[in-house]
Amino acid sequence: MRALVIYCHPRPDSFTAAVRDRVLDSLSERGVQTRLIDLYASKFDPVLSPSDLELYEDETRNTALTQDHVADMEWCDTLIFVYPTWWYGLPAILKGWLDRVLVPGVAFKMPDDAHKNIRPGLTHITRLAVFTTCGASWWLTRVIGQPGRRTLLRGLRFICAKRCKTAYLAHYAMDSSTDTSRKAHLLSVSAKMDRFLGPAPAALEANA
Amino acid sequence: MARALVLFAHPCPESFSAALHNTAVEALRTSGWDVDDCDLHAEDFSPVLTEAERRAYHEEPENITPVASYVERLRAADALVMVFPVWNFGYPAILKGFLDRVFLPGVSFKLVDGKVKPNLTHIRKLAAVTTYGGTRMRAFMAGDPPRKSVRRAVWHVCRPDKMRYLALYDMNRASDVDRGRFLNKVKSEMEAF
Repeated sequence: MRALVIYCHPRPDSFTAAVRDRVLDSLSERGVQTRLIDLYASKFDPVLSPSDLELYEDETRNTALTQDHVADMEWCDTLIFVYPTWWYGLPAILKGWLDRVLVPGVAFKMPDDAHKNIRPGLTHITRLAVFTTCGASWWLTRVIGQPGRRTLLRGLRFICAKRCKTAYLAHYAMDSSTDTSRKAHLLSVSAKMDRFLGPAPAALEANA
Repeated sequence: MARALVLFAHPCPESFSAALHNTAVEALRTSGWDVDDCDLHAEDFSPVLTEAERRAYHEEPENITPVASYVERLRAADALVMVFPVWNFGYPAILKGFLDRVFLPGVSFKLVDGKVKPNLTHIRKLAAVTTYGGTRMRAFMAGDPPRKSVRRAVWHVCRPDKMRYLALYDMNRASDVDRGRFLNKVKSEMEAF
C-alpha cells in the first residue's frame, strides 16, 4: 500500500493538524509507505492562470508546473484528504490543487488506438478517505447537501478504481466543540483508519 | 439605482465564460442596474485564507481588514451574480476563496448561539451563470455540489426574493447552436432580473 495524504490548514497548531497526525500514525503503525503534501506549508498556488489553461489539453506540457504532485498521484494507491470544511466545501487552496493537478492525461486518458473512449485516469487508486471538520452542525450540513464531501467522494471517486473503498469522518459544530468532543473525535479517526486500512500487524499478532 | 455585484472567475478573456460574463453585464446595464463588475482574475484576487486571517476569523469587525474593499462592495450590492465555469464538480479556487475570505462572520452571517443567521439580506436577487464540462446526469450523480452551494449555502445567507441558477451542461460536446441559445437565455434572464 502506498498512501498520499493531502493536508491543508493555515494554522500549524490547528485541530486539523492533530487529525493529520492521527492519520499518519495509523499509516506508520502498518508500515505503509506514505507521502504528505502540506499545501499551506508548500505555498501551493491554487489559481489556474491563462497559460495553464492554454496548455490544459496538451498532455506533454500540462503538468510541467505540478509534476511533483502528479508523480505523487501516480505513485499512490491510497488517497487521504485532511482539511477543514469552509462554506460547506473545500478550502480554495485544496480546490485549486484538484484543478491544477487533475488535468487531461492524469484525471482522464484520452482515446487512443487501443481505446475508443475517454477513460478515467486514477483507476490505480483503490482507497479514498476524507477527514474534515465542519463549523456547521451535522443537520445543517445535510440540509445544504455536503458539497465538499460530494466533490471528493463522488466527483473524484468517479475517476478512481471501480471498487474503490471510501471512508468519511467529520467533526461537526466545531465552534462549539469541547476538549472532550475533540479527544473523542481523534479516537474515532484512529478507529476509522483501522477499518479503512484493515487491522494493524500488531493487532493481528495479538489475536493469533 | 440598484446595484448588482458581478463576480467573474475565468482566467481567459476569449473563453465562453467570458462571453457569458459580457452578456450578463451588458444585459444588467441595459435594464438599468448599476453594475459593479468584479473580475477576480483581472483584480488578482488571492483566494488563500492566510494563517493571520484564520486566527482573527471570529474577531468582528477586525476580521474584515485584509479584504475591506471587497466587503464594502458586497455590502453595497442589491443583487449578486456569479459567473464561473464548474471545474471538478466545484467552483474555481479563485471564487471558492472569495467565499472563504470575504463571506466572514459579521459580513455574510452572524453566529448566534452557534447557529448561522443570514446577514446579507440586502441582496434581494441572486443568480449564477455557469457551464459544466460533463452532462447533467453526471453532475446529478455527483450530487451537483456547485448547484447546492449556490442554491442552498449562498442562498441561506441572502434569503433573496429571486434566485436563478442558469447552467449549460455537457459543454465538451456543445455546438455553436447550443452555446448561442444559452447566451440568449442568459441575456433575457438578466434583462428581466
